[in-house]
Amino acid sequence: MTTRTDSRIDGFLSRLRAGLRGMPEREIDDILREIRGHIVELSEAEGSDVDAAIRSLGDPVDLAKTYRAENLMVQAECSGSPLVILQALRHASRTRAGRFTATLLYVFGYATVIALWREAVHQLFAPARTGLWYTPGSAWPLTFASGGAVPAGSRELLAWWAIHLALVVAGLAVKYAVDHTARWWLRRYRHSKPLSAPC
Amino acid sequence: MTSTKSTGASHIDRWEVQLRKGCLDLVILGILWPEKLYGLEILRRLERDSDMALSAGTVYPLLARLKADGLLESEWVEADAGHPRKYYRLTALGRRRAVEMARMWSEFASSVGDLLSPVLKEKRQ
Repeated sequence: MTTRTDSRIDGFLSRLRAGLRGMPEREIDDILREIRGHIVELSEAEGSDVDAAIRSLGDPVDLAKTYRAENLMVQAECSGSPLVILQALRHASRTRAGRFTATLLYVFGYATVIALWREAVHQLFAPARTGLWYTPGSAWPLTFASGGAVPAGSRELLAWWAIHLALVVAGLAVKYAVDHTARWWLRRYRHSKPLSAPC
Repeated sequence: MTSTKSTGASHIDRWEVQLRKGCLDLVILGILWPEKLYGLEILRRLERDSDMALSAGTVYPLLARLKADGLLESEWVEADAGHPRKYYRLTALGRRRAVEMARMWSEFASSVGDLLSPVLKEKRQ
């Protein structure tokens, strides 16, 4: 390998490395080592020039995108981070409308979780004003009130600790359901779309 | 008329691409069934033994995905070539998956083949 061919390989690999930014450093090194080996061996053993060997890999930006997309899907399946899952959902949505809908549904799910846990915290500080109130004779006999005015002539049906526990459990259940649904959808997407088309 | 023909041709092309895409995983598992191979060897086998001429840009990320799914494992081996090679082999899970997929593929191909035999006979006549 001459210095000129080395510089062409290095140029390709540095563009690939730039595209892979964000992935674990060890995985990036592994990919670059494998791709360098491919270029060197193909150009030496088969008498083709380095440029042809580099061309066989396509655009380094596209190659990096394929690796990154795959890495993102794997991370989303294993990670508990809502941000990683949201990023993967957005990536997997093919259209702008799909991205918007996926983001909206996921954010709405998490907003519900936050609202339930906020109520749980609030209930700790205002136990007498938070609860499930029963008002005999009212058009709406059952009211869930949190921190607001207690309906006149009503009585609370649950103990404070039961409400607190229910809110925490409901928050956890919604969080599980949102993440589980997102991961299920990502798994389906990942296995229905095997990388790019054969060329 | 020309546009109808070209639409038909592009539809066939798209269909063929989808068909090939659907069996990429199985083809790689099949190639690695008897022995461990490195990326360039896999590409050469694909070119030599099958109609699946895949680009290197497709095969390397696909190998990474199959590894992430636990179907393949890899090891770096120092080679005479002067640079190390990353060899891939099937894991126990990969072997089970290959058997399952090969069985399904065989049953599917056979049933579709039966269904299509009148079409193919007609064409011969």
